[in-house]
Amino acid sequence: MPREIITLQVGQCGNQIGMEFWKQLCLEHGISKDGILEDFATQGGDRKDVFFYQADDQHYIPRALLIDLEPRVINGIQNGEYRNLYNHENIFLSDHGGGAGNNWASGYHQGKGVEEEIMDMIDREADGSDSLEGFVLCHSIAGGTGSGMGSYLLETLNDRYSKKLVQTYSVFPNQMETSDVVVQPYNSLLTLKRLTLNADCVVVLDNTALNRIAVERLHLTNPTFAQTNSLVSTVMSASTTTLRYPGYMNNDLVGLLASLIPTPRCHFLMTGYTPLTVERQANVIRKTTVLDVMRRLLQTKNIMVSSYARNKEASQAKYISILNIIQGEVDPTQVHESLQRIRERKLVNFIDWGPASIQVALSKKSPYVQTSHRVSGLMLASHTSIRHLFSRCLSQYDKLRKKQAFLDNYRKFPMFADNDLSEFDESRDIIESLVDEYKACESPDYIKWGMEDPGQLMTGEGNASGVADPKLAF
Amino acid sequence: MEDDDQQKAADLVQELVLRLVSQNPQTPNLDPNSPAFLKTLRYAFRILSSRLTPSVLPDATAIAESLKRRLATQGKSSDALAFADLYTKFASKTGPGSVNNKWALVYLLKIVSDDRKSAINGLDSSVLLPNLGIGDTGNGVLSRGEAKKKDWSNGVLLVSKDPENLRDIAFREYAILVKEENEVTEEVLVRDVLYASQGIDGKYVKFNSEIDGYAVQESVKVPRATRIMVRMLSELGWLFRKVKTFITESMDRFPAEDVGTVGQAFCAALQDELSDYYKLLAVLEAQAMNPIPLVSESASSNNYLSLRRLSVWFAEPMVKMRLMAVLVDKCKVLRGGAMAGAIHLHAQHGDPLVHDFMMSLLRCVCSPLFEMVRSWVLEGELEDTFGEFFVVGQPVKVDLLWREGYKLHPAMLPSFISPSLAQRILRTGKSINFLRVCCDDHGWADAASEAAAASGTTTRRGGLGYGETDALEHLVTEAAKRIDKHLLDVLYKRYKFKEHCLAIKRYLLLGQGDFVQYLMDIVGPKLSEPANNISSFELAGFLEAAIRASNAQYDDRDMLDRLRVKMMPHGSGDRGWDVFSLEYEARVPLDTVFTESVLSKYLRVFNFLWKLKRVEHALIGIWKTMKPNCITSNSFVKLQSSVKLQLLSALRRCQVLWNEMNHFVTNFQYYIMFEVLEVSWSNFSKEMEAAKDLDDLLAAHEKYLNAIVGKSLLGEQSQTIRESLFVLFELILRFRSHADRLYEGIHELQIRSKESGREKNKSQEPGSWISEGRKGLTQRAGEFLQSMSQDMDSIAKEYTSSLDGFLSLLPLQQSVDLKFLFFRLDFTEFYSRLHSKG
Repeated sequence: MPREIITLQVGQCGNQIGMEFWKQLCLEHGISKDGILEDFATQGGDRKDVFFYQADDQHYIPRALLIDLEPRVINGIQNGEYRNLYNHENIFLSDHGGGAGNNWASGYHQGKGVEEEIMDMIDREADGSDSLEGFVLCHSIAGGTGSGMGSYLLETLNDRYSKKLVQTYSVFPNQMETSDVVVQPYNSLLTLKRLTLNADCVVVLDNTALNRIAVERLHLTNPTFAQTNSLVSTVMSASTTTLRYPGYMNNDLVGLLASLIPTPRCHFLMTGYTPLTVERQANVIRKTTVLDVMRRLLQTKNIMVSSYARNKEASQAKYISILNIIQGEVDPTQVHESLQRIRERKLVNFIDWGPASIQVALSKKSPYVQTSHRVSGLMLASHTSIRHLFSRCLSQYDKLRKKQAFLDNYRKFPMFADNDLSEFDESRDIIESLVDEYKACESPDYIKWGMEDPGQLMTGEGNASGVADPKLAF
Repeated sequence: MEDDDQQKAADLVQELVLRLVSQNPQTPNLDPNSPAFLKTLRYAFRILSSRLTPSVLPDATAIAESLKRRLATQGKSSDALAFADLYTKFASKTGPGSVNNKWALVYLLKIVSDDRKSAINGLDSSVLLPNLGIGDTGNGVLSRGEAKKKDWSNGVLLVSKDPENLRDIAFREYAILVKEENEVTEEVLVRDVLYASQGIDGKYVKFNSEIDGYAVQESVKVPRATRIMVRMLSELGWLFRKVKTFITESMDRFPAEDVGTVGQAFCAALQDELSDYYKLLAVLEAQAMNPIPLVSESASSNNYLSLRRLSVWFAEPMVKMRLMAVLVDKCKVLRGGAMAGAIHLHAQHGDPLVHDFMMSLLRCVCSPLFEMVRSWVLEGELEDTFGEFFVVGQPVKVDLLWREGYKLHPAMLPSFISPSLAQRILRTGKSINFLRVCCDDHGWADAASEAAAASGTTTRRGGLGYGETDALEHLVTEAAKRIDKHLLDVLYKRYKFKEHCLAIKRYLLLGQGDFVQYLMDIVGPKLSEPANNISSFELAGFLEAAIRASNAQYDDRDMLDRLRVKMMPHGSGDRGWDVFSLEYEARVPLDTVFTESVLSKYLRVFNFLWKLKRVEHALIGIWKTMKPNCITSNSFVKLQSSVKLQLLSALRRCQVLWNEMNHFVTNFQYYIMFEVLEVSWSNFSKEMEAAKDLDDLLAAHEKYLNAIVGKSLLGEQSQTIRESLFVLFELILRFRSHADRLYEGIHELQIRSKESGREKNKSQEPGSWISEGRKGLTQRAGEFLQSMSQDMDSIAKEYTSSLDGFLSLLPLQQSVDLKFLFFRLDFTEFYSRLHSKG
């Protein structure tokens, strides 16, 4: 009985990265474009049934729902070479096909409207699994469908499947350039609230950083979406290797995430991947060792989230947890040596309020995908510097909100009807407290954080003294 | 003129001869024309015309000086003076009529005088002066006594000095005396000695049990010297008797008692030696009958063999016989390889004679032994009916065949086979037998013949012999190389040794994560019940389900079939967790590697890892209940702030403690995975590849397993630390139930507060009881959280102190790898900082 994971790809961006993800999984498992197991794919050891199920004719079908409010990307998939891979019952396209117009409220509202239809599809998939582990949502937080409808789905899933895990791969907009979506700060903020409250784990994929990596690391002058998306699919497939190639540890999503997320609210993960290559690109072949890979993973330039921190803040940023998934031919003894070296050089800065360490999972590499590197690695980490990304979202929102710009588009929808903008304020509060919590994690007194707030203590009934228990201060 | 001189000299010589001969009392008047005289004359001429020269320099003055000095030293100084005077006169005479060759003359005189002196001293002078008598006596070889007599009679110098022939008379008398003293002639004694040498009593020489040896009988009168001589010679007989007795006894014993093939070979070799000895004796005996062949028949002569000659003849057989007797003594109680070894010890001898003899003897003695080695090494047959081989087999169960089926018998190991070679021999034959019995394989025969071909010896019998230790070693090496390789091939390929090891690693050492997880999921609830309530059939069903649900289903069915549930013996209080375990059935021939003790070690490791997994599972379970989208402070906005604070505090505490526990368990698992299992496995794989024979493989596996046991703190020495680890595990499990209660309570609170919120919205007016309800709710929540906090605190306190204890025990452990564990646990130096602070 596998720990099945159902993938929901919502919106244009979500479907694009989702498509890349499935391409990659098919390659790694030796599954053809039509879902048929290739003849050479006989070397077992992999678990296909986490992400695929087999139809009656032995075809492998992804446990994926393709959801969009406008047909462009999904039509592309349906006419593409992978058209026979997906279960066509799992594709949802809105009848009008007009999209959400980059409006979170529109996406959210439409989501509500088609809730039944979509939940039917989800239920059907869930019923088809023996022991459903959870859902993975691929979306972007800037647009309308992925952010709005995605948000709605998150809330619904949290409600309906409260015991199941919800992980998201959320693409954050490129904040360096002026975006074509002017209301992106609004959308981001509203989505972030749901990501904070209704998701168990958010893998942050920052388009700014992806672009930077494509330019700096891959030497592409004008990276296309397809190229940045292939980076995303690499990260997605790498982060699921331990689920797909069972070993001693980290065989299920919950085990993987539990150690990464000791504090429930701080569940936003950064990723790093090395060595990076894009298809058809002749990269310099380096000698890769475990130490090499682990060291590179700690370098900011390889991390797929932009750091907006100023220097002083950056030096205070701390890792809450790190998991390195190393793929390839690795001598287990090298892991210890690498860890030692990293500690000696003080390459990594961990939280002070509890024990922490770099976790290393060794994973098999797919025998069907040829790479020029012996070792490759993915880092999943919870790092407090991510708060700067949220702060930036907040400041951008604040700028826009101050001007009261573009709010009319939102007031059209019930949630903001009658000029009720409390949702914005609530979201802002939540994000701010999230930022605060991340900040608190940087201090050794995290345990006491939030409990000696004078405003709250005022109304307290004297129990507060028990809170500041000296024993808990270690 | 010259002719004249010649004639004159000839005449002079003739006259000289005539005078000398006529002075001989035996031939008083000799006719100058008689042939005898002419013969003598001719002899004289021959001597004179010969070119014999003295070996001194022709220096007249030197000789004169030496003569003078000699006279002086003899105290005849007046003579010396006279001689000097005379010599000066003589030397000064020159011219016609004087002597030309003065030196020669002086020398002649000196010789003559020396001669006479020595004759007086009783020395045989015939050596110094030409014995003119030789020519007419015509006797070639004379017996000593007579020769002397004749010398005297013929000696030139006896002419004046021994007219009465005193010496001759004395000798005659001596001979008579000898005859009177010896009752027995030497010939008889020789014959008796020859008899005695064959262990037979002679007429006079008989075996004397008192002195334990052959001797001339006391009653017989023989000179002491002869008696001793005979005694010495007949030692051979004594030795012979000993050897012979041994042979006969051994041969007689043979069918009844196990003399052994080596013993038989030894006897045969001795027998061979003895028959050589018989031949010698036969020849000697024949010789003893014959007199010494003399040229002339007139002279009487003794028999060819005297006692002295015999002693020369006996010298070599004596050495051999003595050796044989020594060997017989040594080997009387020994058998087989021990016997060969004992003989080998004597072969280390510097004397080439002894050495060669021993070599040939050993070659015979060892041939059965080498034959045993050959058939053992090439055919695996233990052809050893008499227990002589240094490998002994004992009937054992199949699974013990390799470990206990065959052993080296150190007493039977000849010293010329080194212990390491013996080990290799043992192993090679064992490998063959193992292949034959346990693996049901016949491919080894090819390997064996290949080995034989490679080592240059054919597989037929008798290809090897003593002294060819190199060849033996070569054969054994070749055979061992091939057969061991074949054995490993069979184990690896046909019996899939490595695959089984991997299967054990996957299932018993929990390497197949998805399988383990699923098993934990379905078996877990059941295992919480008392052990008595659990049927192993039910568990077997779960096991099967876990296999089918995980990737294990693609595994070889043969391996999965070997995987069983094992319920350990349990007491009344035990829960399922305490007794559940998995085992792997090892079948022939792999049970040689996976013996019961090995499997029980695996069992212990499994139980430990299973426990660890259970703890991990518990922690993950807690995380699931507190996972991010369940616990959001958002739901509690409506709560009273004091309760909210309490709640926050309880949650934070729970999370932090969870984080600490999870950190410990995860890192312990990483340690187990990287530092223990994977490292040991990769070492084992390397050693498995390098293994040359089954012993290597067994050792490698042993090492692998022991490394795992030792590093997983399961060893004897780590009992204390293991106990403290289990205390930590217990605490974590306790924490889990507390956390579950906490989250249950919180969940309830969440629902209640939501309800009350809704109530509030619905009915605005009555207000009173709702606020009452809220108050009550708040109070209850406060109490609940308070008690939970206290419990949590006590667990946290206990956990901290236990962990502290555990960490302080870590550096005391012997295994170096445990410092890796400490390194991992204290990666951020969290605990060391804590320690330095506290």
